Amino acid sequence: MKAAAIARNTFREATRDRALTGVLVAGVALILATQALGALALGEESRLTVDLGLSAISGFGLLVIVLVGTSLVAKEIERRTIFNLLSRPIGRPAYLLGKWLGLSSALWVVVAVLGLVVWLMLEVRGHGGYGPAVAEAAYLAGLELTVVTGLAVLFSALSTPVLSTLYTVGFYCAGQWSWDLRDFAERAPGALGVTLRVAADLVPNLPIFNMRALAAHGQVTTPFHLGLATLYALVYCGCVLALAAAAFESRDFK
Amino acid sequence: MPDAPDHPPEALAIRTAGLSKSYRHNWTGRIVTGLDELNLEVRLGEVMGYLGPNGAGKTTTLKLLTGLLKPTRGDAWLMGVPIQQVSSRRRIGFLPEQPYFYEYLNGMEYLELAGQLSGLAGQEAHRQARGWLGRVGLGERPRLVLRKYSKGMLQRLGLAAALLHQPDVLILDEPMSGLDPFGRRDVRDLILEQRERGTTVLFSSHILPDVEILCDRVAIILGGRLTRVATVGQLVGASHQQVEIRCTVVPPFAPEPGLVGTVERRDRPHETSFLLHDDTRLGEMLAWLLRVGAQVRAVTPQRATLEELFLATAARADADAHADERRSA
Repeated sequence: MKAAAIARNTFREATRDRALTGVLVAGVALILATQALGALALGEESRLTVDLGLSAISGFGLLVIVLVGTSLVAKEIERRTIFNLLSRPIGRPAYLLGKWLGLSSALWVVVAVLGLVVWLMLEVRGHGGYGPAVAEAAYLAGLELTVVTGLAVLFSALSTPVLSTLYTVGFYCAGQWSWDLRDFAERAPGALGVTLRVAADLVPNLPIFNMRALAAHGQVTTPFHLGLATLYALVYCGCVLALAAAAFESRDFK
Repeated sequence: MPDAPDHPPEALAIRTAGLSKSYRHNWTGRIVTGLDELNLEVRLGEVMGYLGPNGAGKTTTLKLLTGLLKPTRGDAWLMGVPIQQVSSRRRIGFLPEQPYFYEYLNGMEYLELAGQLSGLAGQEAHRQARGWLGRVGLGERPRLVLRKYSKGMLQRLGLAAALLHQPDVLILDEPMSGLDPFGRRDVRDLILEQRERGTTVLFSSHILPDVEILCDRVAIILGGRLTRVATVGQLVGASHQQVEIRCTVVPPFAPEPGLVGTVERRDRPHETSFLLHDDTRLGEMLAWLLRVGAQVRAVTPQRATLEELFLATAARADADAHADERRSA
């Protein structure tokens, strides 16, 4: 209940932030601009719309996390608004959970709006058949952003906004290359191989959320993949938030 | 082991036993003590003023009690519940020093959020928020965003947020700082109202006349150590009272040899006043005045103010500290 109140407030904070409005406007403008490139696409307009549209969802979602998420908790500590919250009967884990839920909800709104615009563009062009593929890919992109939001909350609770941005973007990039990292680990000798394997296990497995290539051809994925990706996102976020809560519990607010 | 409390624990709203807080400097590794072995008891329904100069440890104490800081040593209880437990904060209201608010919220939204976080259900939080916004004089524009509030309005909103779930214990950190006389009066009235309700209040303040008006007892903390806890009456009454005697027609005689050093004479165009530093010599003084033919017009006891006593306590503690340093050197 109290985590829900924090989540509602965080959602309100994110949606009243001009950054989110700017990102939404820029995202919609980019998707509309792809229509002007249709003539250059040599009959692949739909593929271009889906590919660029889904990339816009991931890219602009990440931008929201960088602009809002990486300073989510640090800003509250710096501005001392956290005094008014944590002096009430609310546990610190519930506070972090609320922050994560609130920003994730705002990101799901971004995903839904941009996903809807992509689908509308396709519908207008008479390619409504891409709908299910776009919906699935947008859902997975939303899960990916939810996972990255968890990392942003973790780093934001433990460091400054600048460092938090560096760590979050670093983990995002490493997460995108986690399969390559695993391949390197297989081939690297001794201690380096073990280190790389541990790193590959720690960073989020983000390729599991990427079905842009499939969606660009109008193909859907399996329910097993969707279920597995959902479960993975929930477990990964759970672990990250538990780590954040443990570290945040002993923190002093001077 | 903490000492046994002077009052049964159930009669205490706040109790600390050896509560201490130290900080380690990030770069030098030096340890700084913010609060040292605090043993404090605040009784149910009592209003206690918590006094001390800047950096004495007042805010540290209040933040430890409200869970914003973690104690290095010692224990504390709020309404009998250890402060380590989240539930200890269920029955308290807290106003931090210079409270900061979410600028994107309006007054109504902020109070609803505060109510929900203090355990009120949605509808009840809404009802209380509306009521309290009106009670602190902000009800006319409930949708005004907080970035447009003045400092006084924000302070009143902070107090409403601390009070809207009807806490049993109110902890206020410098609630009157930065307020104009009207704002101070409003805050003072709210605290008095809470006292009538039976709420226990612990508040730190620099504005000693307000403390004198509001408090049952005061605790004085200096350099992280509690130096004194007493009722305002005890503090003020224990001091030697001065007496002012105003007279007309006083011949220019020197006072009797026995009174020299305890009395100051001030001659003005139409009257002469004597300030007697020791009220136990009043009879002797009056007898002398009558003997020399003075016409006594008024005898006014002059109580030392809390401010004077506080400054004297601080000066004494400072002198003791210097003496200790000299001894250890």
